Amino acid sequence: MSDVFASLAHALGTAFKESPGEPWPDDVFESWAQRVFTYQFGANPVYAAYARKRGVTPSTVTHWSEIPWVPASAFKAVPLVSGDPSRVQRVFRTSGTTGAGRRGEHHVLDLGLYKDSLIPNMRRHLYAGGPDRADGDGPILPILALAPEPADVPESSLSFMLGAALDVLSGGEGGFFVTRDGVIDTVGLSETLGEAAARGTPVLLAGTAFAFVHWLDWLKEHSAGFELPQGSLIMETGGFKGRSRVLERPEFYASLSEAHGVPFEAIVNEYGMTELLSQFYDGPVAATSGMVLEARRHVPPPWVRTRVLDPNTLSAARMGEPGLLCHYDLANAGSVMAVLTEDQGIAVDDGFRVLGRVEGAEPRGCSLAMDDLLSGVRS
Amino acid sequence: MRTTFDACRLPKLSVGLATRPPTLVWETTGVTDGFVIRYPVWPGDSAEQLLVALREAGVRLAEVPVRDLVDCIGRVANRFLDSSDPLRQEAIDLLVPTAGISKEMASEILTGMARDWTADRLTELLQRELQDPGVLDGFRRVDEGRRVRAEGPLLTFHVGAGTVPGVSVTSMIRALLVKSAVLLKPGLGDVVLPVLFAGALAEEAPELSGAMAVTYWPGGSSPLEGLALQRAEAVVVYGSDEVVESLRARTPVTTRFISYHHRLSLGLVGREALTAARAPDVARMAAHAVSMFDQRGCVSPHAIYVEEGGAVDPGEWAALLASAMADLEVEIPGGQLTASEASAVHQMRGSAELREASGSGVRVFRGDESFWTVILEDEMNFTPSCLNRVVSVVPTPDLGGVAGSLGKVGRHLQTVAIEGAEDRLSMLAEALGRAGATRVTSFEKAPWPPPWWRHDGASVLAGLIRWIDLEE
Repeated sequence: MSDVFASLAHALGTAFKESPGEPWPDDVFESWAQRVFTYQFGANPVYAAYARKRGVTPSTVTHWSEIPWVPASAFKAVPLVSGDPSRVQRVFRTSGTTGAGRRGEHHVLDLGLYKDSLIPNMRRHLYAGGPDRADGDGPILPILALAPEPADVPESSLSFMLGAALDVLSGGEGGFFVTRDGVIDTVGLSETLGEAAARGTPVLLAGTAFAFVHWLDWLKEHSAGFELPQGSLIMETGGFKGRSRVLERPEFYASLSEAHGVPFEAIVNEYGMTELLSQFYDGPVAATSGMVLEARRHVPPPWVRTRVLDPNTLSAARMGEPGLLCHYDLANAGSVMAVLTEDQGIAVDDGFRVLGRVEGAEPRGCSLAMDDLLSGVRS
Repeated sequence: MRTTFDACRLPKLSVGLATRPPTLVWETTGVTDGFVIRYPVWPGDSAEQLLVALREAGVRLAEVPVRDLVDCIGRVANRFLDSSDPLRQEAIDLLVPTAGISKEMASEILTGMARDWTADRLTELLQRELQDPGVLDGFRRVDEGRRVRAEGPLLTFHVGAGTVPGVSVTSMIRALLVKSAVLLKPGLGDVVLPVLFAGALAEEAPELSGAMAVTYWPGGSSPLEGLALQRAEAVVVYGSDEVVESLRARTPVTTRFISYHHRLSLGLVGREALTAARAPDVARMAAHAVSMFDQRGCVSPHAIYVEEGGAVDPGEWAALLASAMADLEVEIPGGQLTASEASAVHQMRGSAELREASGSGVRVFRGDESFWTVILEDEMNFTPSCLNRVVSVVPTPDLGGVAGSLGKVGRHLQTVAIEGAEDRLSMLAEALGRAGATRVTSFEKAPWPPPWWRHDGASVLAGLIRWIDLEE
């Protein structure tokens, strides 16, 4: 069983690494998707039973979109492992920002496959100079992470990702500036940014939107700011859900831009989730220079396809209509590849536009305090 | 077919505002399928004018005998109940897009709500709470050594939740009965009935016209909100814990603050009801209690605890419940859900189906094209529903253990519907009451508490009035 997974993971990793970045032809994605589903159906009895209840088996699937999705919240309910659970290398957990309810768990069988997905994708979007640059031939972009060290937070997929990128893409240059308790090393970070500015070395400043807000508050309090060298990038991720302080995106980007001396187009949103081992970026490759924020879109890597589903019918939403984002991520070979999120988005030609988690309308019904209630039961 | 609705009904104001004041800017918000709700934005000076006018009308309202109020309101209720009255038809047509419910559900809800606004029901409410409703008109001797009078607030500011259409009308009526002028900010899902009600009541009784203003704004966004909290003698809030908390913090200490925060309800089925003869009936009534209001009401059960050891076991009963939910979906279809509501159902359902697939005792029964879902749990653990007809069936060895298992849920507990524990009812009610419940009833009655119910444990008129004792 696990040998089957090892060879599948190896084949996938090779395909990811060798992919130039352009979308794969439909038949290529189709054949990979069917291969992964067939594997998962055989290696994950829980998922297989779930698929069977929906009348789906590998022999019934004529198109990848028929592969049964699991809801993102299922990662809170059952361990979703396609393979030998005793060979799980790492369990990543969701941050659980909305109260003390149960956290989602992604049991990862092969951290190597995770790296094979995240590195080429990040290289393409954030190291626009291409492989030559990221391989050390050209100037590399040190990663300054507004996140804790991977070793301090082994459950954090974001820290793992930034750690892997720091090792491979920035040749070990950079560092982590948040303690395991979530405190920003403001002095260390401002010194490092100051040095980068003085030396003219562009950097990649990466972290959660929430950490950036605290960092911006600190900068404002100390009347501090930087003029980062041209070529510097900021990568923010995670949004503000469940947090007390919420910033609108234009205001947030304006503050980031002003405080660090980088143009808007050098600020990139990474849309990712613990439940998926691939990520989506909205720039700068995806967002051509000067593009207005509202027009930005997230572009999946070639090994991910994203459907936008009508929330009421779960069939494909009409082009241009908002719906729920459902991702088919081949990098999830060791868990479940098809994941229905709670995020709304709109399909655009080569990707999708994320609209966020809940639309403006006031929710009807008394469901608002659900997380509090749950935490109440379990505490 | 109409595609817009103005969520605003204002008194004709002598102080310079027209019915639709030209000085007001209107905003719009979408609800479902292209239907738009318009609402005015209140600048501070217009807001002040409105509140002054309402308070003046409140003074005149104090002179209207309570009997007349009951009669006028009752006549409007009858119009809402009369299927040949265009007002009822208009209400139903508008409820569908604005409240996100089916036409059949709109009709059920309107009937159930308006029934409580009829003269008989209002009289019953007044008598139950005040014994002699005449105390609202002047001093009355109700016991030895004193005469008493009940004085209502000059102006009551109501903030509605929008979860169940009509609830904010009920709230308005309670204030009018104690002769208080009313400013109502309804929730987005409940804008239609209060606007139609206030309009119809003003036609019926022009002398009341000036004492009612209904105007929607997104919570927290209008200067009228802060000003109304300052100017009203009483504030009545229906809403989430967060909404209640925020408004309470901004209400002066001298103002009466009556709040109905987040609540949820449960069902209990005892083994006495789990016979082949009774179980299907109980399942039908339970399905009705869950599905009414598409489960968005505070009276709607989230989970049903089913006792083991009956002829019909909890799993079999869950299947009966599922079948009844499916039938009811045809009879009274579920409404159009917002993206986030629908998403919540997909997440909860899918997770339960994976737990089912994992070989646990969990079973999931669900509609294919509709959202109703019955989740048979395998542990005695309470999980709140995502609403919109998603209910869990929790097997329990003994109903007597339910109250003790609820923990902090009790703080939000309201109604418990019990079937088939007739001999143990008092004992169960005692324990559930200690756990937090304020109403124990049957599944059949659960959706429709009587007009005189003690909503969340308190009398509804008593909270609004101030007693004046004239000692002799």
